[in-house]
Amino acid sequence: MAKLVVEISHAPFGHENAYAGLFAAMGWVSAGNEVVVVLRGAGVHVVRKGQIDPLKEISLPATERQVTDVIGEGGRIVADRSSLEARGIERDMMIDGIEVLDRDAIRRVLLEDGERVLTF
Amino acid sequence: MVSLGGKTMALMLFSAPFGSQYADHMCRIAERALDKGYDVEIFLYGDSVHVQMNEQRPKTFFPVGDALKGLIDRGAAVYSCEICSIARGYIKGELKDGKKDYSSTKVIEGIRFCSIYGFVEMLGRANRVLSFGGS
Repeated sequence: MAKLVVEISHAPFGHENAYAGLFAAMGWVSAGNEVVVVLRGAGVHVVRKGQIDPLKEISLPATERQVTDVIGEGGRIVADRSSLEARGIERDMMIDGIEVLDRDAIRRVLLEDGERVLTF
Repeated sequence: MVSLGGKTMALMLFSAPFGSQYADHMCRIAERALDKGYDVEIFLYGDSVHVQMNEQRPKTFFPVGDALKGLIDRGAAVYSCEICSIARGYIKGELKDGKKDYSSTKVIEGIRFCSIYGFVEMLGRANRVLSFGGS
């Protein structure tokens, strides 16, 4: 299966980067391919569970739903540990299925799975 | 010129023109890729669909619209995100006689429209993928 890495470094809702990246990831994985979504910097806010319905409240796509859909299709969502720690985001605040990786492990993901890389 | 035997380069642009140089760099690299014999495919995503607006008149900035038209004239395939273009008023995208209506007076001639699944197919065809903007 062909591999794609989608890197997201913007928080959801303020910019369209996060949900645009997750749309691309979902399209790729639902076509039978492998995807790893790498969340770094402010992009780690994507991991937060229990978001209000953003479509109803602020007319924007629900990244929480996108994350669970990508994982449900077999995609991986990985978050940078130091970015999470810097923002005080702990495991019990995170959507189930998110992997937390150190920077070295994320570098390995980029090298091993980065046949194609999209940055958002 | 060295032919690359049908190798394809896919370029995704995510930033609007003029506010940053991502679109300029994307066009220049696409030009060089064509020079080197690549088949070039471009996907305009998010705010980058504004590069498809016709009759741009930048006085001091890089003329992105002209560059994009030049790429199309040289054989590059330029696809624009359908839903992003509908949201920004470039096309209606409504069904007309059983087909999507992509007619528009606002868009550079030769731009094609597709969904995210069209982009996925483009990525699958590509030997090289470059991403511009977004971070």
